[in-house]
Amino acid sequence: MTGRAHPLWLLAPALLLLGGLFLAALGLTLIRSFRYMPVLGLTDPDLAAYASVLTSPGFLSSLCLSLWIALASTVISAALALGTAMLLRQTFPGRRLIGFLVQMNLTVPHVVGAVGMLYLVSQSGFFARLAYTAGLIDAPGQFPALTHDPFAIGVILLYVWKEVPFITLILLANLQSIGADHEATARSLGASRWQAFRHVCLPMLRPGLLASSALVFAFAFGAYEIPLLMGASSPRALPVLAWQSYTNVDLATRPEAAAMAVIIAIIGLALLLVYARLTRPLANRGRDAG
Amino acid sequence: MLRTLAALLLMSTSALADTADGEALKAMTWDQVVQEARGGTVNWFMWGGADTINRYVSDHLGAILKRDYDITLNRVGVADAVEVVNIVLTEKEAGIVDTGAVDLIWINGENFRSMKQGELAFCGYTDLLPNNALVNWDNPAIANDFGVPVDGCEVPWNTVQFAFAHDSAVVADPPRDMAALLEWIKANPGRFTYPAPPDFTGSVFVRHVFYHAAGGADALLGPFDQAKFDEAATKTWAILNEIEPFLWREGQTYPNTIAQLNELFANGEVDFTFNYDPSQFGLAVQAGTYPASTRSYGLTDGTIGNTNYTLIPFNSPNKAAAMVVQNLLLSGEEQLEKAKPEVWGASPAIDITRSPAEVQAGFAAIKGHPSVVSADELAKAALPELQADWLTAIEAGWQAQIGN
Repeated sequence: MTGRAHPLWLLAPALLLLGGLFLAALGLTLIRSFRYMPVLGLTDPDLAAYASVLTSPGFLSSLCLSLWIALASTVISAALALGTAMLLRQTFPGRRLIGFLVQMNLTVPHVVGAVGMLYLVSQSGFFARLAYTAGLIDAPGQFPALTHDPFAIGVILLYVWKEVPFITLILLANLQSIGADHEATARSLGASRWQAFRHVCLPMLRPGLLASSALVFAFAFGAYEIPLLMGASSPRALPVLAWQSYTNVDLATRPEAAAMAVIIAIIGLALLLVYARLTRPLANRGRDAG
Repeated sequence: MLRTLAALLLMSTSALADTADGEALKAMTWDQVVQEARGGTVNWFMWGGADTINRYVSDHLGAILKRDYDITLNRVGVADAVEVVNIVLTEKEAGIVDTGAVDLIWINGENFRSMKQGELAFCGYTDLLPNNALVNWDNPAIANDFGVPVDGCEVPWNTVQFAFAHDSAVVADPPRDMAALLEWIKANPGRFTYPAPPDFTGSVFVRHVFYHAAGGADALLGPFDQAKFDEAATKTWAILNEIEPFLWREGQTYPNTIAQLNELFANGEVDFTFNYDPSQFGLAVQAGTYPASTRSYGLTDGTIGNTNYTLIPFNSPNKAAAMVVQNLLLSGEEQLEKAKPEVWGASPAIDITRSPAEVQAGFAAIKGHPSVVSADELAKAALPELQADWLTAIEAGWQAQIGN
């Protein structure tokens, strides 16, 4: 090999995969959402599928539920992960063991975690059985409903359990590269511990925290399996609604399913734009300062 | 290196007995079809939620097909046949007319209607199967799949009839008809629920209430009738709304799937579960999921029964091999094998009186599982399925009136 290949050539495999599989599928979904499916005799594209989705009674509550699940999971996970990362940065006996335990569930698939969570916190789960043995409740129905509940507590619990280690991992890597020097300097100049954290450490962690939070939000907003397993039958999370529409026995509802998928994608895209807005000035600021 | 690759490719092509041309097969004799089927692979997409059924298909049927016909059976588990309808539909859209991924589907009802609606099924070949002679096509419950004429587009495999299950140690004397069940629900708050339609089993429970509200199924048979639907539906939603506060979780939520209801029953959170296939109760007791005192029963005003089938998609490249599989499924020996409670406990789709004497003796010798109500007992009060348009209207109505 002589010389350096053009970056585009090096990026080609990744671009092919993205363009060929992801964008093509997105394009097909878009076409279907405009009610263009010749195999079903739909040949005049229109926006009827979007109209019918946006005006259907359950759509708005499903959208709100999905936003609530994603927002609550992200905020709680990010806060807990920040605390965990700051604690794990310090040296104390057993730190390695705790660090290992915190990150162990990164390898557990979401669905397996959900089943485990059901065994623990459902009304006939482990905690309910403990409460029964302790004489606190007489019947499963008296245990607080933490799964299949209208506020999706079980779903959020599962996401928090699963995503805290993920954000922690990113933050720990960030902290390692940042090092302790900046904070030490601030402390030597008279900053309190809190001030050093608030004004020195946190701003430097912000890009990593925002990036990992954006990933968690997008995932929690678009994932289907956990709300199906642990969510209430109504309102249903948006991805569940889209899947049920996609698997409706009436083939004529396929365009509506596609329209819902496109709406989910648009919201995800909007989130990415917000994220880019939030981080870009910061990166520039960092460069200016450097 | 290249030579080995070429050799491998050649081997794989010769191993593929391409029998995508269904019309050519229809013109053959059965022996020719069996000859064509040799070396074929059948990708059978079927509901994969029961270990016993999976074992029966993969191990038992797979071994026979390999040994006697040199056919490789590849069972592909799915959660719902509608996923397979989507695969075949997408293939048709993409112009794949003779190399589809699916060779055989376990299917019935609404999904069969979808396959017919999209012209996705291979039809008109069933007379070719020797064991088709065992099927009583004069029985309307066999010749119509949820009211849609079969028209030689699928082959019956099992018959099922809906039944309720309860733990006799908890509920000694369960309600035996729909009116009594509705009263029982109100007298025992929090101890009953049903999966939210469009779950397959939840949907059929709602249809039982619908029949009850309409004063029987007879008036509802035939094509969809808006006036009749509105009248029965209004009463149905009134009944379901009336019992809602007495359901599990005060009816604020419903299980999303039948698996979830089974779990609630197994954990003692509710007192009843139900299934279209009562043999599932026996299997759950054997697996230790349900208590041994589990018993099942039908309603005196009847429970809904139907037939399930296997279907070959229009674009299957292994139609001959898939036909051999279907013929094997229809044989008296295999209908008997899967009827054994320790294997599966599924009721036959053939007319047993047309099968060989030893098969008939085998059926007579079957001792049912104590938790499974016998098919004969259930058949004393059987209700038909409605046409698919009724089903979708009821499901949509439930979502709008109850599920929100």
